[in-house]
Amino acid sequence: MMEQPHSYCKGAEVLLSLQPTSSVSIQYHPFFGPHDDLVLLELDEKLLSDVLYQRVTLRGQPDEDAVLCTKSKTYSVKFVGTSNSVFLIPPADYSASRESGGENYKQQVPTASVIKVAPGNMELVEVAPRLDKLKSILSENLYSSDEASTATGDLYKWDDLINKVQASDDELKAGLQALSAVEIDGFWRIVDEKYMDVILRMFLHNSVLNDWSLDSLVEDKVVSVLESDGFPRKLVYHCLNVYGSRVEEAMDGGVWRLDARRVCVHFARGILREGKRKMESFMEEWLRMIPEEMQPSFDMLEGEVLTEKLGVETWVRALSVSSLPTTPAERFSILFKERAKWEWKDLEPYIRDLNVPGLSSEALLLKYTRRSQPSIDAEPVFSAR
Amino acid sequence: MQIQVKCSCGAEKCPEWAIIELQGVVEVQPSFQHSLQNLQIGLLCRPSSQENYTFTVGYHELTGSKVALKKPMVVLKKIKYMDVEQQIDEATSSSSCVELDVVGVIRHKILFKTRPTALISGPQPTVKEKINAAGYLNPTMSSQL
Repeated sequence: MMEQPHSYCKGAEVLLSLQPTSSVSIQYHPFFGPHDDLVLLELDEKLLSDVLYQRVTLRGQPDEDAVLCTKSKTYSVKFVGTSNSVFLIPPADYSASRESGGENYKQQVPTASVIKVAPGNMELVEVAPRLDKLKSILSENLYSSDEASTATGDLYKWDDLINKVQASDDELKAGLQALSAVEIDGFWRIVDEKYMDVILRMFLHNSVLNDWSLDSLVEDKVVSVLESDGFPRKLVYHCLNVYGSRVEEAMDGGVWRLDARRVCVHFARGILREGKRKMESFMEEWLRMIPEEMQPSFDMLEGEVLTEKLGVETWVRALSVSSLPTTPAERFSILFKERAKWEWKDLEPYIRDLNVPGLSSEALLLKYTRRSQPSIDAEPVFSAR
Repeated sequence: MQIQVKCSCGAEKCPEWAIIELQGVVEVQPSFQHSLQNLQIGLLCRPSSQENYTFTVGYHELTGSKVALKKPMVVLKKIKYMDVEQQIDEATSSSSCVELDVVGVIRHKILFKTRPTALISGPQPTVKEKINAAGYLNPTMSSQL
């Protein structure tokens, strides 16, 4: 830097490497102006390489506050103003200003030019992905058995989703999985529960007919039998993914195991879709629907059903945690509308998935609930603040 | 919509920008307000081997130091596509017509957090520093720019 002729000693470089007992003339840049297109963004050192290596995007609709997404995280972007004068000085070669400078000040000192006075900078705050919108837009148009006749309205490819939903790629993938969405002909869809019910029942029916073990289902057999029953191959695989998991990978396919909890929850939801039921009649119907190989227990329905005592009767009704909003304020508001007072063991399944960066579950409870304890050895009870 | 953040200078070569920060506002004399280009604001000196600096603006001298930012900042430049490209891209709607380019990284600033001291004599100023007691931005400045 120091060996270079004076005409090159301009800009941020000379300022940052100014030697002791020397000076630099600070002047307005030939293109000094408001430059609203130049924005300062403050970020953690660990995010810097993500930004420099082009691994971040800004996402949001024009009416939403923009978020910045890395591969795995989402950050809200906030403007923080300053009352100080922040002179922004680019390197010498910025925007090819060139040698019109220096005419007024043919000095022996190098110069650095101020391109703009920055009114503040943007800051990042890690936030939870905004996935409620994903659920709402995919629910507008469920995939059902008479797909051909009902396919109207908007369908969304992956690229449409990242344009619409404020979440990082990883969070969006996890969100699609949590919704049991499936990519069909390039579009991400949620399959209508009634259609899933038809496929699952046919599946279990076939397992009895063909004497399949639900713990080791041979993929090729299952798929070919259900395809011959008229179900699209893609939907058969989807059914395996939703209600089971692959336990073994073979050269020509794999071996799958059905997940008892997911199958049992499915049938419980089906029974309670029409409304609440007395415990005895619910249990009777539920146990009858579940395949013999499976051992159902009422604990499996944690986060899916609520029980309440009305007189001498115990009633069961559906309240699925997956149907609730993911933002804490909305989640607690709905929970306290459902029920004014909650015991911890009932409440916990409905809030354990809440994810707020920087807030522990204790902090969430403090913020959104009032905790009371009727007596010292009684269970604490949570109510709305 | 999605805006890709790019770095067209290349991550390794992304140049360092600098900030000079001071309280209050620098006010330009009325006769120069419409010809700011290349106008000198002041002289920044480093009197010793320490990272202390003086900034002389008109009759005023500020004393400050070079500090490393707690967190780095990047300078983003909004780039809007030309109309021609928009037409080619019409099928994919207007959603992809803005990009952000990282044109610089800032790790240091030279910060003057004290009020200026007056110099008894100095060069004829073309720019004067005006700092009010509370140190807030003089609203007339931004409208003049």
